Amino acid sequence: MSPSPLKRFGVRVGAMAWKEVLHIRRDPRTIILALIMPVVLLLIFGYGVSFDLDRIPLGVSDQDHSEASRRLSLAFTTSKEFAPAGGEDADRADTAFRRRRARAILVIPQGYAKELARGEIGRAELLVDGADPVTANQILTKADAIALAETQRVASAAGVDARPLLQVKVWTRYNPEARSAVFMVPGLAAYLMAIGSVLLTALTIAGEWERGSMEQLFASPVGRLEIVLGKLLPYLGLGLVQLLLVVVVGATVFDVPIRGSPLLVLFAGILFLIGMLGQGLFISVVAKNQLVATQAGALSSLLPSMLLSGMLVPIDNMPLPLRLLSLVVPARYLVDSLRQVLLKGNGLEGIWPDLVAMAIFAAAIVGIATARFKRRIA
Amino acid sequence: MRGEAAIEVVGLTRRFGSFTAVDGVTFDVERGEIFGYLGANGAGKSTTIRMLIGLLAPSSGTAVVAGHDVAADPEGVKSSIGYMSQKFSLYLDLPVSENLRFFGGAYGLWGRELEMRADEVLELTGLAAHRRTITGTLPGGIRQRLALGSAVLHRPSIVFLDEPTAGVDPVARRGFWRLIRDLARGGTTVFVTTHYLDEAEYCRRIGLMVDGRLVALDTPSALKRTWVPDRVLVVRGKALPGAAAAFREQPGVRAVEPFGAGLHVRVDPARWDRSGVEAALARGGAENLSVDETEPSLEDVFLAVVGRTGAEEAPGKELVR
Repeated sequence: MSPSPLKRFGVRVGAMAWKEVLHIRRDPRTIILALIMPVVLLLIFGYGVSFDLDRIPLGVSDQDHSEASRRLSLAFTTSKEFAPAGGEDADRADTAFRRRRARAILVIPQGYAKELARGEIGRAELLVDGADPVTANQILTKADAIALAETQRVASAAGVDARPLLQVKVWTRYNPEARSAVFMVPGLAAYLMAIGSVLLTALTIAGEWERGSMEQLFASPVGRLEIVLGKLLPYLGLGLVQLLLVVVVGATVFDVPIRGSPLLVLFAGILFLIGMLGQGLFISVVAKNQLVATQAGALSSLLPSMLLSGMLVPIDNMPLPLRLLSLVVPARYLVDSLRQVLLKGNGLEGIWPDLVAMAIFAAAIVGIATARFKRRIA
Repeated sequence: MRGEAAIEVVGLTRRFGSFTAVDGVTFDVERGEIFGYLGANGAGKSTTIRMLIGLLAPSSGTAVVAGHDVAADPEGVKSSIGYMSQKFSLYLDLPVSENLRFFGGAYGLWGRELEMRADEVLELTGLAAHRRTITGTLPGGIRQRLALGSAVLHRPSIVFLDEPTAGVDPVARRGFWRLIRDLARGGTTVFVTTHYLDEAEYCRRIGLMVDGRLVALDTPSALKRTWVPDRVLVVRGKALPGAAAAFREQPGVRAVEPFGAGLHVRVDPARWDRSGVEAALARGGAENLSVDETEPSLEDVFLAVVGRTGAEEAPGKELVR
């Protein structure tokens, strides 16, 4: 008559998890936070807050007035990133920048065509408005690409094997058009999963403390592990749906490639989510009220996963203390493994250090949180 | 009686730092009994319950609940009892049926057995028509019935109710107590804390807690006899105030208090009987008199107990059976 302990365990975890699913279904905020927000954010990042250059006003100061100089300025102004802003005087670039007539000015000095004709390196200058460093950087990157293409065109026209004028940065190799959506999707996936998991678990468990239902649970035979599993499983599922959404929307709307194994993406996602759920659990066990849990949850997930994950700022560019701090931010390992698997098509051999790091974080935080989560008030 | 008892408590004590919340409490609760635990807020009622259900470890003393020692085997206690806490009992955002399903699952019930028990409980609590209603939209009294129902879903031999009727209107409270009596008739032991003294009348026995100590324990009528030995009379009539002033000065008259339009009179039973009081008041000028003997209320008992224990050091000990 009496069912086996394993079955009882399953029944209790199932009861906890099902109740949680009902809570989630009843609360539209959770659904919005978990499923609508990722898509909206992805679209905003993909289109709106795009770091991609789009019709940046470019002034041209052509002092050479040659066929070659016209070809060069045409190469810039006909690309979709730049729009011709008319002729500008190189000496009065400051005014042009200040009045926002142009964000960059291409200066082709006298003698450009002659230099090329002599088989020398044709020199042209690009003055860039550095007030917005992100845009400035992108202008430079794009200018490099245009200059390179123009160099090759000139070289092949002349029948010489021209040495490239400028080096193309390594990271564009996997994102040749330097589209930020491609670069952003892995970061965004980590960011959204981190916020969703930490915040939602912290909220739901803190809610049980606040309502007093935690005491009711403690008075029942439901064990600590059963509460933790029952609480975390539904959010693990929700997190995986988020990951799927971000990857699918990224792939269909922004042509983000999925070169590697989707199973590996899923596996990395699960490891990452367990860590994040553990973090949420830890916060709620310590805070025990929803207000504190919300703030601690948002701060501890949002900031590190955005700033220290390599999503926006490359980790190699960070000062040493931040670089060290980023070592304990699981998001950096997920961002790295997603980029490797999705964009480069790498397999386990490339991302195993990331997986190990995420597994260590997950085991540590879940262990600490469960240890602090006491059913008996001593 | 030992071995027969549902709950056996000996010298149960709980200290929080230098504060002793429960101080050497000893009592037994018999099987199928409704046992009321009374006391002011902070007297130690909830602390006692939390030790008995295995939530809080005792500082010293022992408690055996449904055959399990609460200190050594709290998990054994937890699976054989039901508990309805003071603060929370149900998830208000879930439908009635899902609350039952959850609490059933928490106690390991599932499938056909769970469905059968849920139906029985819905029947018992009169909530069969509210199966799909969101729990939070039900009135407080009905919610408490459902909470009690979900606490007994797994057929525990003992159910602990911590202030189950706090904030519930009198009519709903009566309905709730009918349910408690039904449960007890079915053999479930009920341990209930309350500070509504009228409710305590429904209990077979009552324990009174003052400042962490159990100062009195007996049936309601025995408590009244022991603690309020006066004869209590309800007096109605005309021109009572004048007559009362003179009557109050007579020897053996302990108290004369206004009670509605009439008087509440407490006298020494050795000196006064009903007709004596009537005659004395008539001599004082009262007319149309009706004098009726009545039982002292538990409120009288409570005041007497608190008054006595406040004055002396633990005189009530010998009253604990």
